[in-house]
Amino acid sequence: MFGKYKPMWGEKTQLKSSYDAVIIGGGLHGLATAYYLAKDHGITDVAIIEKNYIGFGGAGRNTAIVRANQRTQYNVPLYKEALDLWPILTKELDYNLMFNNCGNLNLMHSEAAMKAARMTIATAQFHGVESHLIDAKEAKELVPALNISEDITYPIHGAMFHPPGGIVRHDAVVWGLARGASKFGVEIHQQTEATAVNTRNGKIVSIETNRGTINTNKLLISAGGYSAALIYGMVGIKLPISVLTIQAMVTQPLKPLLDHVVSSGAYHCYANQTLKGEIATGAHMDQWPNYTTQTTAHYIKHQGEALSEFMPCLRGLRFMRIWAGLADMTPDMAPILDGNDHIEGFYFNCGWGYFGFKSCSASGKYMAEFMAKGQAPDMIKPFNLRRYEQHKLMGETAELVTYTPNN
Amino acid sequence: MMTRINQLPTLRVDPTKKVVFDYKGKDYVGAHGDTVATALYYNDVRIFGRSLKYHRPRGLYSLDGECSNTCMEIDGIPNVRTENTLVKQGMKVKEQNVKGSAENDMMGFIDKLDFMMPAGFYYKTMHKPASIWPVAMKQIRKAAGLGVLSPDFEMPGKFDQIFPSADVVVIGGGPAGMSAALASADKGLRVIIMESRPWLGGFFDYRTFDYRDENYKNNKQLYSRARELASKVESHANIRVFTHTSVVGTYTNNLVTGFQIGKDNDKFTERYIEIRANAVVVATGCIERPLIFENNERPGVMQVGCVHRLARTYGILAGERAVFSVGHDLGLEAAIDLFDLGMKILCVADVREDGQNPHLMIELAKRNIPYLKGWVAAEAKGGKRVKGVVMTTLDGTISRDFDCDLIVASAGFTPLNGPLTLAHAKLRYDSHTNFFVADKMPEKTHAAGRMLGLEDSLSIEASGVIAGLKAALDCKLMKESYGNSDVDALKSEIDATVAKQKELPGPARGSKFVTAPVKGRKSFICFDEDTTIKNIRQAIEMGFDVPELIKRFTSAGTGPGQGGIPGHNLPLYVAKYLAASGAPPKPTTVRAPLVPTLIATYAGSKHIMMKRTPMDDMQRADGGVFRKIGVWERARYFSDDFSCKKEIENVRNNVGMLDGSTLGKFRIHGPDALKVLQRVYVSDMSKVKLGRVKYSAMCNDDGCVIDDGVVIKLAENDYYFTTSTARAGATIEWLRYHTRFDGWDFYVVNLTDSMGVINLSGPNARKVLQKITSEDVSNSAFAFSGYKEFMVKDTIPVKAMRLGFVGELSYEFHVPSSYMVSLWNMLKDAGKEFNIQNFGVEAQNVLRMEKCHIILGQESEQRTNLLDLGLGFLWDRTKKDAKTVGAVALRQAENDPTRFRLVGFEMENNGRAARDGALIVDDKVRGYVCTARDSFTLNKAVGMALVESHLAKVGTRLEIFEDECGGERIYGTVVPMPFYDPDGTRMKS
Amino acid sequence: MSLTITCPICGKRNGYEFRFGGEDKGPRPDEDSLTPQRWCEYVHLNECVAGVQKEWWVHKDGCGSWFTIHRDTVMNVEVAKPEADR
Repeated sequence: MFGKYKPMWGEKTQLKSSYDAVIIGGGLHGLATAYYLAKDHGITDVAIIEKNYIGFGGAGRNTAIVRANQRTQYNVPLYKEALDLWPILTKELDYNLMFNNCGNLNLMHSEAAMKAARMTIATAQFHGVESHLIDAKEAKELVPALNISEDITYPIHGAMFHPPGGIVRHDAVVWGLARGASKFGVEIHQQTEATAVNTRNGKIVSIETNRGTINTNKLLISAGGYSAALIYGMVGIKLPISVLTIQAMVTQPLKPLLDHVVSSGAYHCYANQTLKGEIATGAHMDQWPNYTTQTTAHYIKHQGEALSEFMPCLRGLRFMRIWAGLADMTPDMAPILDGNDHIEGFYFNCGWGYFGFKSCSASGKYMAEFMAKGQAPDMIKPFNLRRYEQHKLMGETAELVTYTPNN
Repeated sequence: MMTRINQLPTLRVDPTKKVVFDYKGKDYVGAHGDTVATALYYNDVRIFGRSLKYHRPRGLYSLDGECSNTCMEIDGIPNVRTENTLVKQGMKVKEQNVKGSAENDMMGFIDKLDFMMPAGFYYKTMHKPASIWPVAMKQIRKAAGLGVLSPDFEMPGKFDQIFPSADVVVIGGGPAGMSAALASADKGLRVIIMESRPWLGGFFDYRTFDYRDENYKNNKQLYSRARELASKVESHANIRVFTHTSVVGTYTNNLVTGFQIGKDNDKFTERYIEIRANAVVVATGCIERPLIFENNERPGVMQVGCVHRLARTYGILAGERAVFSVGHDLGLEAAIDLFDLGMKILCVADVREDGQNPHLMIELAKRNIPYLKGWVAAEAKGGKRVKGVVMTTLDGTISRDFDCDLIVASAGFTPLNGPLTLAHAKLRYDSHTNFFVADKMPEKTHAAGRMLGLEDSLSIEASGVIAGLKAALDCKLMKESYGNSDVDALKSEIDATVAKQKELPGPARGSKFVTAPVKGRKSFICFDEDTTIKNIRQAIEMGFDVPELIKRFTSAGTGPGQGGIPGHNLPLYVAKYLAASGAPPKPTTVRAPLVPTLIATYAGSKHIMMKRTPMDDMQRADGGVFRKIGVWERARYFSDDFSCKKEIENVRNNVGMLDGSTLGKFRIHGPDALKVLQRVYVSDMSKVKLGRVKYSAMCNDDGCVIDDGVVIKLAENDYYFTTSTARAGATIEWLRYHTRFDGWDFYVVNLTDSMGVINLSGPNARKVLQKITSEDVSNSAFAFSGYKEFMVKDTIPVKAMRLGFVGELSYEFHVPSSYMVSLWNMLKDAGKEFNIQNFGVEAQNVLRMEKCHIILGQESEQRTNLLDLGLGFLWDRTKKDAKTVGAVALRQAENDPTRFRLVGFEMENNGRAARDGALIVDDKVRGYVCTARDSFTLNKAVGMALVESHLAKVGTRLEIFEDECGGERIYGTVVPMPFYDPDGTRMKS
Repeated sequence: MSLTITCPICGKRNGYEFRFGGEDKGPRPDEDSLTPQRWCEYVHLNECVAGVQKEWWVHKDGCGSWFTIHRDTVMNVEVAKPEADR
């Protein structure tokens, strides 16, 4: 019924001395870019260089929420396309990505927040993405566990309900893309560390790894939380990024209780129920740069306090496991997709903060097009690095996210 | 019901005290001190639940809650670990994840369908055609999960939290932990010891003789040694004991968290404990490493400690006819002791070919217990409970059947390294002990006892003493706290103790055996997730060659047992399977909480804290509708009419008063005070005149406006200034940040909470003011933008400003908070004849919008700069030496035509106001509506919007796209600002 | 993790009493002949060191001072000032 058990992403092979394109980072964006390079552009002589194992970083540490209810006109279409790609990829990859299209409920705790939500919803609707403002009672009908009384720190005024969103099995995306890419001939080299990038006359010529030199004139660094340090360290480009540790946790598994993804900005908390029945919840980041994936006592307690208020029935559940990953935050909460500018043939894709999972398919698709043609496709042009020196921050957040004093 | 062995000195139950509880609607009787699990077992319950995937029957296995098999619903709370929960009178207990009952589960047939569910089968099925997935998913969701929780469930009990500090925290109250605690405490240090069981004693608590010593009969029995240590610990003035307290997290810098379960007389059900210590001793001991064979989790297969503790601690003999299949000396010891307690032991198989303690073998022989060296259990027989076992040689060539009702199985030990790895210890595989041991310890952290591989009881105690002394040394080396006292003496004491311990037996050799020679179709490596070793092999063949990845792909170790069952076997098995690669076993990651912990417990006793102004009660009495806004509760409306018509009209026509106390209020003074203001405000603050109010703004380094407010000069280099409510908390930090390299001399004081603010606005405002003060407040004496200080009734010092935020004649009074109520009442009385009324934040919002006065955060977001808002007139470009924050970016951006502009607009054709947040569009988004309202004053709908600059010209038609408009646009026209009283006559007269 | 930070005035305290204030980039660059690139670098760009970096903190729930510490961003612990910086 299931055939022989074969290695999903090919037998381990020797590292060649040259590839048409090299991708540093075996996470979702790297894998997706490789997949689309091969599938859409016929560039199959591609090596993915992964220091650890594929999906080690944010790809395996996120809480698998997908949605397209971003704030600006630049972001919404990109995330919409990413959202639309889940069923298509399930079919293309012949791998069940387990898209649970349960919809997202983003709670609003003040009249000001309701106004902010209206703008986001109008932006979504303007771009053909379904999203609605609902009141507290309607929210409670969708999520009976909600406490809509006034008697909590941040009473619930209403919610932004976004039916097209949901949850995708994140590990499946990693494995499915890896399998899909390797079927086209892409080589995935795990336990392989890139140590240097060599340029000549402003062009990429090769990279050094712990397993030898690889010649290439197309290089992408998309290493999630490690991108900024790698890009500055190996290529010398400084980025407007702060790498923060972000935490998430799950409770013991439970029979179905939550039918939607619930999130709250005021409580710094989101929760959804996985297919296994665990309540997955998270969101907190300590507001200073970190490469640690150690979790904090402070946060798991905070999460207990927050959930106790707005979904009090969960008080009877037990946390089972907390973990952490890295989020590379930019001041405008929008990513940086750039390349072939500062150095010919050098591309980078980073700054996704905690949105890297939901966007990976579309980001990979357009980065592949960018790398194949050398020209940024319109969809991702606004995400260039130069916007920061032009004082053209993207406004994905109403409040600037700089880790200097509070502003 | 079974018979209890009532007279054992090791008992922790009191069989004379009956506890009646409810299991599935029937009364059951246990003894005081029983856990729910032991009480049920005593009442002949053998099947505690059904497994997650295959619905296999499951029962007691470890007695320490290392798998979800024995989780039940207790008093409505799902997934309670019955092995760790004391039974209480009246408890209501129910089994979980069964259709029918645990005994007869209608879903039990799924066990036969395992061939359809190899590792990762979900990913390869149910997506073709796409339409079946949503249907399948629903079924998966229903099948998954263990317990049930209702959305209106209310958690009973009281939850508490404490944050004690200590010099040394000892994790684990066994012989090593107790020795460590005593050693540290004897050096004068404050020690906290945390033990997960309700009593101190660890694995000494249920043991009698250590038969490995030839003269064992002359030695103190181990349980009595444990009690001796415990009473010393409990009576030590420097030691605080937390029993029934699980450690759940350890962190760098020696932070330890845990929770305690309340005893009968405690005022809490559970309480969260967070301890900041200077040094940590980890003496958590070991759990048993499961032996893997066919049906190795049948009810009736138990670990050594489970059977031994059932007998010694609870007085229950787990079975009548037992077969042992073990890999360590403690297994042999248990067989001897249980035999002496009356259990029939058919044979003891030992997977070790050599290395057994000879004295134990002699004791076995003395009792005629058959001993099979190099044999192992291969398959448990029996459906719902064990009826027999097939034993085999390690190579599987010879086998023998036994009829038995109990299989005591244990491959080896697993050190409980969690508290070390959570605090960032790196683990290394040690092939002698077959343990993962800490290679690099966290700072000021020491391990002791069994987790180091020690088995000898004296050696274990000695290792505890050493760890305790080392922790004491860590503390004493912290000069600032302890003054470096006694350090040298302590160092030599440590050396001496280490030398003495070296004479005792060191770490014992650990068995490497994982699985019997079987195909492994029903040989479970993880009970929670029903993962078999066959699944593990499948995963490895598919390319998942790291234990951490296999965990993700097969789910092994991701269940409520926190990896206790598979945590050690998985890496060993993977390494063995991939032996050709030569790589040593790699541990899987342990994560907090180390045991599942209630959300209610983490939440503890949190209180909701909000700030209230001095006028809070009075405004509530006047019918104020309050909202939480930032850290404050503020009166947003004064009626149920949220359009605030009456409030607005009263300000425009009569007079209104508003509580503005939440404004940030500061005094800055000192020789360099002006320089500071020049740095952070965009205007030239040297031009601020005495007796005048200066409005200005602060920008960030991107030129974006972060604050606006007024500045008043009190004297040379002495200023009073206000900030927006939201900025109050961050202002001093901001000032100090932007002057941090300058070494300027200034003082800045936050007066936000010590001063209250009343805003008195409306054409009658002066008349009201004149009634309470003799001060000349005529328009000539106290003009617009003027500032005055005067006393009211010779008592209340008032700082008064003539402002015009709402566009009327308007005064703002800043008074000490303690006088607020008095002044408020005076104004209210004085204003009666002029029809004075309260107005709230929303009315103010509309009033100021009609005047096109901005509120930051409403008319701006943090990428909106000073020029975008049309506030460029505030910016003084000539004060370059001031290095004004934001000026660089403003210069760089000032000629950029692509930036947004703030515009005023009115709706076409007398249309209703657009909603706040509506978009300005053509075929793209070109801006958005900041604030828009139907203006009662102007009789039309007006608003402000941020739009691309090409749309900013007066007369431009704005196409507005609202949420839920269904594509139907509404239209407005850009008009000059402000809408109301454009020349400001009203506020200036 | 549980960061502690040593305030020059108040001593070693819980890290949550403080607010991070950015990598140390030195005083504001001179405004004469300042390019947008250089200004952007000062305001927004970071080295994102995975290791020990010098950085600014403010004791927000304490004395309010701004000061620098050295911190290992991989372990999230304050470390002693390196010899070169003394």
